[in-house]
Amino acid sequence: MSRYLLLLLLNLPFILAAIISQFTQYKLGRSTKRRLQVQMALWILILAGLATAEPLYNWLFASGFTQTESLSLFDVVQITAIVIVFYIANRSRQKVDVLEHRINDLHQEISIKLSQDNKFK
Amino acid sequence: MKKATSPKICIVIPAFNEETTVGGVVKSIYQALQKSKYISEVVVVDDGSKDNTARKAKQSGAVVISHILNSGSGGATATGLSYAQQNGFDIAATMDADGQHAPEDVIKGIEELIRRKDDLLIGSRLINNKGMSKVKILGNKGLSFITYMLFGINSTDSQSGLRIFSRTALEKLRWKTSGYEFCSEMLWRAKQLDLHIGEYPIQAIYTEYSKSKGQNNWNAVNIIKSLLKRRISELFG
Repeated sequence: MSRYLLLLLLNLPFILAAIISQFTQYKLGRSTKRRLQVQMALWILILAGLATAEPLYNWLFASGFTQTESLSLFDVVQITAIVIVFYIANRSRQKVDVLEHRINDLHQEISIKLSQDNKFK
Repeated sequence: MKKATSPKICIVIPAFNEETTVGGVVKSIYQALQKSKYISEVVVVDDGSKDNTARKAKQSGAVVISHILNSGSGGATATGLSYAQQNGFDIAATMDADGQHAPEDVIKGIEELIRRKDDLLIGSRLINNKGMSKVKILGNKGLSFITYMLFGINSTDSQSGLRIFSRTALEKLRWKTSGYEFCSEMLWRAKQLDLHIGEYPIQAIYTEYSKSKGQNNWNAVNIIKSLLKRRISELFG
């Protein structure tokens, strides 16, 4: 199997998961349209970069813009690891953001409730 | 005699370690409100102070909401405005606890908000900056410029603590930052919600105490960093 195809197949599940997750968040009203657009553009750009890696490399090599070796197995593993780390970091940041917001709301509500309880004592 | 149709006004004072001034600020705003036609309540949000801020505020007649943890000026303001919204107030005003704002300016702001039908009215110290040090003018103008560059909002004093909110603003306006940077973020959110934002001139009263308590210009670096982070993080979801 071509290493470029392997690279695409290994990364495709994460890219698809990210796209589906962003779309679901938007449909559930947890994300804005602007956020959805930026996230979609980002992941589609990554997908397009991976899908066109081979023809792009061939063109660069043929045109004399690069003399580097073709994709090695180590490169495939390394690029896949970068995409996975990016996927995890992106999701974690979103979750932290939601949690931070919830904690702030909780703190606010507890403070108001306690002050109202004290008022009527 | 207060008319039954008078709007209900809530004055929100976020306070952190302000035992020296908070009592005086509460009393002076109550005096000014008594002369006006409004039904009002003063709420002090004690943001986890280590001193007697809450006790002094309560003794002066304010409703006190005590934060269990110190969450910053933005968090305390959000709590106070949430209280105003939950308790059916028509208009809310925020002012500093260090005595920097004149109670007359708060009343003037409320009247201006009603007259202009704005949703958010900012008391600008820089329209008439008499009494303000050059360093403070520079710092505030710098932050207003950054607010304009990041969010496209043209305000002469984006960091002012004296703000008046309509009922619509109370119901809709929310922000995510909890430090001083909330001042700029609030304007950004108001713009996103298409709320009417206005400004009116106020006179800042600088005493030795308020000068020592006020924001350090170096804090502007932290505010800019936070605003940039918020702007970029919003972009990437």
